[in-house]
Amino acid sequence: MSRWTKFLLAVILGAAAGLFYGWVVNPVEYVDIAPESLRVDYKTDFVLMVAEAYQVDRDSGLAVRRLALLGSSAPTDLVTNAFDYATEHEYAPQDLSLLKSLGEALEVWNPNLEVPTP
Amino acid sequence: MKQDRRGSWYLLTGAVLGAAVGLFYSWVISPVKYVDAPPYALRIDFKDEYRALVAAAYGYSGDLLRAGDRLAQLKDDDAAQSLAMQAQRALAEGRPEAEVQALGILAMALNEGVLPAIPSLTPMQIVTDLPATRTINPTELLVQPVSSITLSPQPSHTPTDIVLTPKPTSSSQPVIPATPTPTQGALFQLNDTRLVCNQDQPQPLIQVEIQDAAGQPVQSIELVVIWDGGEDHFFTGLKPELGLGYADFSMAPYVVYSLRLAEGGKVVNDLIAAECQSEDETRYWGSWMLTFIQP
Repeated sequence: MSRWTKFLLAVILGAAAGLFYGWVVNPVEYVDIAPESLRVDYKTDFVLMVAEAYQVDRDSGLAVRRLALLGSSAPTDLVTNAFDYATEHEYAPQDLSLLKSLGEALEVWNPNLEVPTP
Repeated sequence: MKQDRRGSWYLLTGAVLGAAVGLFYSWVISPVKYVDAPPYALRIDFKDEYRALVAAAYGYSGDLLRAGDRLAQLKDDDAAQSLAMQAQRALAEGRPEAEVQALGILAMALNEGVLPAIPSLTPMQIVTDLPATRTINPTELLVQPVSSITLSPQPSHTPTDIVLTPKPTSSSQPVIPATPTPTQGALFQLNDTRLVCNQDQPQPLIQVEIQDAAGQPVQSIELVVIWDGGEDHFFTGLKPELGLGYADFSMAPYVVYSLRLAEGGKVVNDLIAAECQSEDETRYWGSWMLTFIQP
């Protein structure tokens, strides 16, 4: 085996070790993520919590502000996605009902009627 | 025959070069992407939002198990304490009252391990279900405090005591178990002052215990401590493991402090760190324990 072949083999082994270290042993860690990066089931639960809280305060504007943490998608889309996921994964009927209720409230919500808060 | 004197260093060079390329690729060009992140990876302010939302949702469902599961996703060391501290911060930052209350209620429920409150419970029953957890076992006081404590009158205001009262419910609305609301009532009064000698607690403290008329601890009470050239505020309930009505403040030796409740009441003057002495004549700092009770 020529020296160049051995050299290239060493480079490949080194690269493999580097990739293993960088991807497995010590991968890049995202410790300060935003809620929009949450896994879909956590996102769904997040929306469900918003729906539960909405039943207490009946504040559509507050619900929208809470949902805004999940990204720039339309609030109704976020709720629809959560409802679809919840339906697909057979969430409890009362949870589905809560999501549906929130979705319906947001359908008729008019941001122009919001009273500005200080 | 010519001998190769270059040795095998080229192999190490190749391996190092390869490793550098591999790390560059795995860390910079194509790092691991966390697109399906769990809640514990949230930024700290988003964690606060998450906790507040869990608490708000708990206000609807009263499902302590579900709330606990959700909070567990944040991997806090002590979920109840995190909630209590966030409630205190929220209170200090002037966050909406509903948020502070929701956080406080959930912190209390988790801390005490109570089952979700049910509508039939009266406020008094709810309060009675929360036993005081504070236990202090001071050693015998061997040295008298170096100062006496005097009380001076202060203009009275409405206290910030919080009691649990049920919210109105309707047949079509989910039942809100109980919501703390400020009530008019008598001011908290200083009931007891004593020096606590505990060698395990060498740092002198001003310890405060606040109880309502039923003898139950009252959290979220703001206390103001003043000394020559300084002032600080602290709250009851920040250390739920010591009781929801408990708060403490670290004293500096030889500094004279005054303490009062933020919303009024008498000022406790001349609080100064006092020494204790153990049986082997070791001297150490004691702590002042002040108990305020609503008459």
